[in-house]
Amino acid sequence: MSLFRWFIVRHVRRERLRSAVTVGGVAIGIAVVVAIRLANEASVRGFETALQAVSGQVSLEVTSPGVGVAEDRLAELAWLRTFGRVSPIIDSDVLIRPSDTNLRGELVRLLGVDILRDRPFREYQLVDDDAGRGRNAGPMTTQEFLSLLTAPDAIVLTRAFADRHGLTVGSDVELLVGDREVPLVVHALLGDDGPAQVLDGNFALMDIAAAQLALGRLGAVDRVDIQLGDGQVIDRAEREISDRLPQGLSVQRPDRRGAQVETMLAAFHFNLTALSYIALLVGLFLVYNAVTVSVISRRAEIGMLRTLGTSRSTVLWLFLGEALSLALVGCVIGAPLGGVLARAAVRMTASTVSTFWVAAAATVPDVGVGEVGLSFAIGVPLALAAAFLPAYEAARLTPLAAIRGEPDLLVYDRFPRRYVWSALVLFGVAGLCALQPPVSGLPLYGLAAALAVVGGAALLVPVALSVLQRIPRSVDRRFGVEVMLARANLGAAIRRLAISVSALVVSLAMMVAIAIMIGSFRETVVYWVGQTLQADLFISGARRSPVGDRGGISVDVERAVVEYSGVTAVDGFRSINVPYGESTIIVGSGRFEVLLAHGNLLFKSPPDGRRAMAAAVGQPAVVVSESFSLRYDAQVGDRIELPTPGGPKGFNVAAVYFDYSSDRGLVVMDEAVFARHYDARRPSGLSVYLHEDIDPRVAREEILASVGSTGRVFVNTNAALRRQVLEVFDSTFAITYALEAIAIFVSMFGVASTLLTLALERRRDMAMLRLVGAERRHLRRMVMVEAGLLGFVSLGMGLVVGLALSLILIFVINVQSFGWTIQFHLPIMFLVQSSLAILAATILAGLYPARLAGGLTMADLREE
Amino acid sequence: MSCVRVEGMWRRPTGGSLKPTVSESSVSPTHPDHVLEALDVSKRYQRGDQAVEAVRGVTLRVRAGERLAVVGPSGCGKSTLLHLCGAMDRPSEGIVRFNGRDLHSLGDDGLTRLRRQHVGFVFQSFNLLPTLTVAQNIGLPLLLGDHAERSATAAVEVMAERVGLSSRLDHFPQQLSGGEAQRAAIARAVIHEPVVLIADEPTGNLDSENGVRVLELLVALNRDSKTSIVLATHDEYVAARMGRVVHMRDGQIVNP
Repeated sequence: MSLFRWFIVRHVRRERLRSAVTVGGVAIGIAVVVAIRLANEASVRGFETALQAVSGQVSLEVTSPGVGVAEDRLAELAWLRTFGRVSPIIDSDVLIRPSDTNLRGELVRLLGVDILRDRPFREYQLVDDDAGRGRNAGPMTTQEFLSLLTAPDAIVLTRAFADRHGLTVGSDVELLVGDREVPLVVHALLGDDGPAQVLDGNFALMDIAAAQLALGRLGAVDRVDIQLGDGQVIDRAEREISDRLPQGLSVQRPDRRGAQVETMLAAFHFNLTALSYIALLVGLFLVYNAVTVSVISRRAEIGMLRTLGTSRSTVLWLFLGEALSLALVGCVIGAPLGGVLARAAVRMTASTVSTFWVAAAATVPDVGVGEVGLSFAIGVPLALAAAFLPAYEAARLTPLAAIRGEPDLLVYDRFPRRYVWSALVLFGVAGLCALQPPVSGLPLYGLAAALAVVGGAALLVPVALSVLQRIPRSVDRRFGVEVMLARANLGAAIRRLAISVSALVVSLAMMVAIAIMIGSFRETVVYWVGQTLQADLFISGARRSPVGDRGGISVDVERAVVEYSGVTAVDGFRSINVPYGESTIIVGSGRFEVLLAHGNLLFKSPPDGRRAMAAAVGQPAVVVSESFSLRYDAQVGDRIELPTPGGPKGFNVAAVYFDYSSDRGLVVMDEAVFARHYDARRPSGLSVYLHEDIDPRVAREEILASVGSTGRVFVNTNAALRRQVLEVFDSTFAITYALEAIAIFVSMFGVASTLLTLALERRRDMAMLRLVGAERRHLRRMVMVEAGLLGFVSLGMGLVVGLALSLILIFVINVQSFGWTIQFHLPIMFLVQSSLAILAATILAGLYPARLAGGLTMADLREE
Repeated sequence: MSCVRVEGMWRRPTGGSLKPTVSESSVSPTHPDHVLEALDVSKRYQRGDQAVEAVRGVTLRVRAGERLAVVGPSGCGKSTLLHLCGAMDRPSEGIVRFNGRDLHSLGDDGLTRLRRQHVGFVFQSFNLLPTLTVAQNIGLPLLLGDHAERSATAAVEVMAERVGLSSRLDHFPQQLSGGEAQRAAIARAVIHEPVVLIADEPTGNLDSENGVRVLELLVALNRDSKTSIVLATHDEYVAARMGRVVHMRDGQIVNP
């Protein structure tokens, strides 16, 4: 232990800068992993917390797929009371805003309950307004509660929501449902207990009848909650209820919805997690670098220790101990830093999750024992693994060789052929892995292929660096003595440089791959949007996202639109969430005849998709999205069974079409078929086709004016909707770029640290250069040229390897994760701009080492 | 002129004058005979809490073309005196003049240029740059001095032939024997035809045969080019081959 303190701890302290860079790299790597884990957890937990809070004491719930339970069936379910208490529920995401504003409204979880039945299920703690704000009003009798809610315009909001909007008891608010504004009055405020704590207080309570009226859901409830009586065993009760329920109704535990959400998000979370590990990988390159440098610069000391009788295993453990101590400090800093980064990550992922999968307020969980444990569990073993090779080399040194300082880095003419062969083998493995199918819906082999490519590329780095030695000498003549010196220096340090350059190559390759993937995806979406969004105007109600879509376009608004003189056709789209397998899919409906006449779906199969779609009009047949087809292996001609309120029904798959709006899987049927099997609900949006000579902007204004008194709708022109689609697309991938930027940032540190180390270790050579007449500018330029050459090699390899990785991302990982076919597209401008920026950044990374080298004076070097 | 390309430098079959052209005229001697004057120079170092006076009030004058040996035991201050004479270091007290110019007036870059143009160095441990080939090592002072590469290459070839390393130009220092490495170091030290050659124990790491060869080479170069040599040694035989010998002990010049 004393030896460790004297030999390692003192050294780590003395080399403050290098130690700090290494610890910083590990800490950032760990922080990114923890942050993504927390962000992933937050998105699921946000939903589950809301689910639990809103579920309260609910043991089981009876639902009907997608459409809720018709009230006239409730009478048939009277027997449910033999199992315990029963409460019918309206549960919906709606927009609410103060009446005196023109804001778009805030998304609120609205529960409509029969308070007489519901009180045992959920805790509603009312608080006083104004005078007694903050003080609990105390328990309120059910009768008093009922009197608060019975008015048809009564709504109870949370204190948090009221405070945010300056509302009090008696304030007027508006519920935005589809194209309607429903005026309501705040009758009471809830405290922070029970359901009110969900979604940052975005919760509202209404009487069930008033909610049905406000939401246009008369005659149906969303589900029936059951609280089992004493002596009931949940498994048996669930089984018995399931057996007795009429066709079309099903019973499940509330937490199953959480599990479905987890399944839906699995691929998204898996890919983010994989990406976050790149930053960690780069951090570990720094550990390898630090220990390698430590071993090389202390060969004489190691030799002395060995001469004095220190065993090989002690030397090995000394250097592993150095890695361990650096990793431990990195983990200690990284875990809490992860908590900080998580907030940013959650901000970036929450909007994506809410847009594509499920509405949930993602609050960041605190960094707990689990995260700290995870940090150490991954950081420490990986750091030890990273340090093993250099530590083993140190242990293998003979006393004589170490003390003599025999050269260990000079690899002038040894072209590392075995590296080339090993790399080729890895590339072959990558090719084989890329051909394998997904494992449980996750692209494990795809990731293995990507890792094999990265490994192969890392092996080729020494080869690429040795190529620098083969550049024609005429280059030196053109660029001066500094280039000659820089090339000679790099050539002599290939083994050491290979590690930090590999880290940079890996980060750059990932950046290039992700840029190509996102660029290709964007181009594909642009093409898809251009082809499929053929309507001139898109009319929607007050909704923020497709998730929790409620409320439709009223008959009056649709009539007003249809009667507008310039309209040639109108299509209406409905969608509901339906449980399917272990996840949830979207079942939608459209007017197939209108779509065939005016729209332009892009069909994947059969070749004549339009004809197949035409044959499906009015038939029990569906067209499915590509993601549905891949995820559930449903091909044209197959028969799929969808749950409906009337029980499971079979549908023929008529065609598969390209769709990039959701990876959950879409099943679309003709409007009449949908109405027959589900309900005849109003469409949530209208696609409007205009005469050729009508200006959409003029039509938009005129339609808005004509429906102004009837309803509140949003009308987008084709161009505006396309713009919105791309805005959503870009915000979705912001987190991806952010993670990449971090990995590149850390690897820049790696290059700077390596150059610094090389500069410090070459002090003797630099002294000689100064002696024979090299001025400070010569040394500065020499180091800058080294940085530039490293950047050039890294960038060149990063571009090539990134291109290979992008093919795996696009054609393997993406297809297996999300079921999307993406057309390959090279974002040339982006790549050129980022390449120049990275080259400049690499040269910048050489600034400090160059300054240090240039700042050496003869007095500094006298000792050398 | 026909050229051949060897080891990255363009060689000219015949040698040519490479007399430095930069700022030479600005350095005018006060005494035409003395190219180097160290007048009452001292050098103190701080070693922890202790001040160590390595050179104490030494006065030394070196004439053009002179061969001077500084002799004394280890730690007597020989190397420090040579560092001061070679513009590698500044004295704590006293004046060092080079061709009559007080070095005190020169900044770091000025001293660097002076070393590059007028001083050559040879050390006991050769101090060749391990990452450069022999040819690159030898030509380095010229390349750093912005000489045209063709002329530099030609000069390297001439110099390599003179020191017997023509066949070793593409080798790296680790591939040379001790004697070869020291001859390469001497070639690098004199390729720019310096006014003064500073040699610190140049034969200290060599066997006797190579030691003699290196010594003869230094004497021959001095004879042919009139480069003054200031050489530190504790070897009486080496000292005897120099024209004048001064003895040092405890940082001072003493009578033998």
